[in-house]
Amino acid sequence: MTKPTTRRTALKTLAAGTAAASLPLWARYTHAQTAAPIKIGFQQHATGIGAAYGRWYGRTTDAAAALINEGGGINGRPVEIVAEDDGTDPKRGAEVVEKFATQHGCDVGFGTLFSHVVIGSAPRAGELKLPYFVVSEGHHVASGMLNRYTLQPGITDVKSQVQAMAPYVHASLGKKVTMIFPDFAFGHDHRDYFSAAMEAQGGEILAKIAIPPTETSFTKYFPKIPRDTEVLYHVMVGPAVLTFVKELGEFFGPSAPAIFGFIDSLEAVDIRSPGLEFLEGSYFWEGNPRYAQADQSEHDAFYRERVGVDANGASVTDPTDISTYAHMFGCWETLHVIKAGMEASGYAGPGDRAALIEAVEAMTDMPHSRAHPQGAKVFNGKTHQVFGHQYISRVEGGRLNVVHTTSIEDTLYPDEVDYTTMPL
Amino acid sequence: MQPTRISSTLQLCILLAVFPARRIDAHASEQSLVLLLPTDIYTGAGVAAVAATVVLLAFLPAGTMAHLYQPLAVTRMSLRLLKPYTSLAAFGLLAVLVWAGLHGPRDPLSNPLPLFVWTIFWIGFITLQATLGDLWAYLNPWTGPVWLIHRFLRPRPPARLPPELGYGLGIVAFLAFAWLLLADPAPSDPDRLARYVATYWLFTFALTLIYGPRWLRRCEGFGLMARAYARLAVFGRRRGGLHAGAPGWQILHKRPFPLGPSLLIILLLGTGSFDGLNETFWWLGLIGLNPLEFPGRSAVVWHSAIGLLISNAALIGVMAVTVTLGLRLIGDRTGIAQGLRLFAPSILPIALGYHIAHYLPTFLVDGQYALVALSDPFLSGADYLGLGAHYVTTGFFNTTGTVRIIFLTQASAVVLGHVLAVMLAHAIAVRRFGSSRRAALSQAPLALFMIGYTLFGLWLLAAPRF
Repeated sequence: MTKPTTRRTALKTLAAGTAAASLPLWARYTHAQTAAPIKIGFQQHATGIGAAYGRWYGRTTDAAAALINEGGGINGRPVEIVAEDDGTDPKRGAEVVEKFATQHGCDVGFGTLFSHVVIGSAPRAGELKLPYFVVSEGHHVASGMLNRYTLQPGITDVKSQVQAMAPYVHASLGKKVTMIFPDFAFGHDHRDYFSAAMEAQGGEILAKIAIPPTETSFTKYFPKIPRDTEVLYHVMVGPAVLTFVKELGEFFGPSAPAIFGFIDSLEAVDIRSPGLEFLEGSYFWEGNPRYAQADQSEHDAFYRERVGVDANGASVTDPTDISTYAHMFGCWETLHVIKAGMEASGYAGPGDRAALIEAVEAMTDMPHSRAHPQGAKVFNGKTHQVFGHQYISRVEGGRLNVVHTTSIEDTLYPDEVDYTTMPL
Repeated sequence: MQPTRISSTLQLCILLAVFPARRIDAHASEQSLVLLLPTDIYTGAGVAAVAATVVLLAFLPAGTMAHLYQPLAVTRMSLRLLKPYTSLAAFGLLAVLVWAGLHGPRDPLSNPLPLFVWTIFWIGFITLQATLGDLWAYLNPWTGPVWLIHRFLRPRPPARLPPELGYGLGIVAFLAFAWLLLADPAPSDPDRLARYVATYWLFTFALTLIYGPRWLRRCEGFGLMARAYARLAVFGRRRGGLHAGAPGWQILHKRPFPLGPSLLIILLLGTGSFDGLNETFWWLGLIGLNPLEFPGRSAVVWHSAIGLLISNAALIGVMAVTVTLGLRLIGDRTGIAQGLRLFAPSILPIALGYHIAHYLPTFLVDGQYALVALSDPFLSGADYLGLGAHYVTTGFFNTTGTVRIIFLTQASAVVLGHVLAVMLAHAIAVRRFGSSRRAALSQAPLALFMIGYTLFGLWLLAAPRF
């Protein structure tokens, strides 16, 4: 097993690990005009409601940076991750972006997850002309609401994820769907994107049951589920999610319809938690399969090993510490896109930021590789959004087994913006 | 640059209005599992334990309490002479930490300063201070440097602290700290925290040189808090020697605090209670926010500040009413201020119980970060503690067994705190009013309040929160 990489060991690698490559540090980077590091500002949710994601985003980022440095860095220069906590707070997010550009001398900003923080920070990145690579899944990049300096090349957006589920649900699970979702923007996105996609397939949404976000008991909502429901689509989130599943199981007993959900509900939660027995046989969208599959790619195996995640999606040092596996690959892949973009544009410093944006915009195919362990992707330079395969897994014996992988075509939708027409 | 800032803020407002956050925290694991635990049963048992203590005490012979709180002499040895040196060492450490805050890693979970202030000092040290004894007397970072100045320059304090100020400024200093803890948008930001710490240290140092050591005794908030908590500790000095006794013996055997420190004790509990309440769905509902898309601390600065003040004011009010009502029940005409001086210290165990319960999960995680940072304070790749590559884990929030242990430990801290408080209040009353019966009657309103507060504390632990 490769020694686990933490931010500290990543730096050790930077400082001394190159000895393994039989070259001293000064020799390893001498072909670059300067050996000064490329500074990547990592906007991390270290505290606040995003901290669980932030911890794993940090771990993945450190592992990717260490790997890039072992391979000679970017354009012969080592990569330095400058992590700043944004408190999962939009206002602080904008301040952090500003610090990257004006205080820390970062070349780019990277890594933001929560949508409201992206939306709060991106305008400042645009004003400062700081390339801002988000890892958020939000549709806000491709919707055209942000700016030319904000890109999402390492993770797909929720609109493409949700609509790509409809063909499989319609063909394999049932044609009459009832949706249960939390009554705020997150749930509304699912309601709108999925119902449109399902109806386009010829399916029918029987009921849309909105649950107040602060609700902690759900039995009173279940009688609203129409009796002829064939598929129950749920995206409940928050501390009451285990209670929701437990009560759903108690309500239906063994005669439940097919159940389909998004792993967002249970990201970083053990699928064998009490109350979740009812999920046996149900289906989940996964951005990246948490459990190593029988046909696991060598790239996924390599990525797991470097990040320190075992075959069950947990930390190698604690099998109960479940990672945010469905999302965190986005940090790894985004850093590799930044590397590829900087190399393609011959990036040498902040003066080349515009060229970096253009180089990333020019990207199209991203083959399944060590740089893209989640799968092949296609980048749309006009909308600044990447598209890729989605996974549908079934809970079998307390683990998630992939039963369907969507095509990339299933995830595409018409462009809603052309950022390349905006000035740099 | 100003116009672009304004336009940035304006854009943010518009964007947030039309496109709210879609993602929420997935770290619901611990509280998800807590919601599946039979917390109603645990809560009932906890409240019953406190109520039973109240009843039991009424029938206990008066002498028993005095016996229970009788301290034992441990040693006559004193380490008093070491104080200036240990204080200087603490000052040196603080200076290094401030430097690290300004120049070390930007990540608050890697930088030693926030980890030291919020995990080691605020959670760990305060707990030790309240259980072991007055460690602050040795480790406060001002007495050593002040001693050094006096030893070599022998200045006379140029001014006299106006006595009418009392402990007012110390209470203001504590409230400022509580504001930083609960309302400041970024209390863990290393750079920001370093500036706060350095400013407060310099301010206090300068004012101590101007007004003499009285400034440290009356106007320095951390010292006030530390000395209040030390009264609860097992070890304490008495008649020139070190004694040990049941938690609270020092409250019974030492001269009661003046009104200022007594009020500060109530603020400790009020602040600790709000720090917990402000995470519940109930509170967020009250201020009209969706907990599943919490907009961050900077969006609730004023809500938190006002909530903090209201919680503290309400608790002072309730304490004043219950204590006074109890005294009147037995025909005692002691005034409100004197009543609070007598009985406020009895709630110290509750404040400590809340402190331990509230911060236990944080300590379990951030304690790991602190260890890692201690081993490699400047991200230089050092490993002074020989930890190897340590991955911080939160796996114990993911299994029912460990979550139950954590919850029951928290609940025990809350219940034990209330049991100790009820006993202590009764002992104070017995000492003052003689008979157990009169004491029990005088304590009835306060005891009822404490039973209610047990329910509140256990509800806080079990309530849905973000």
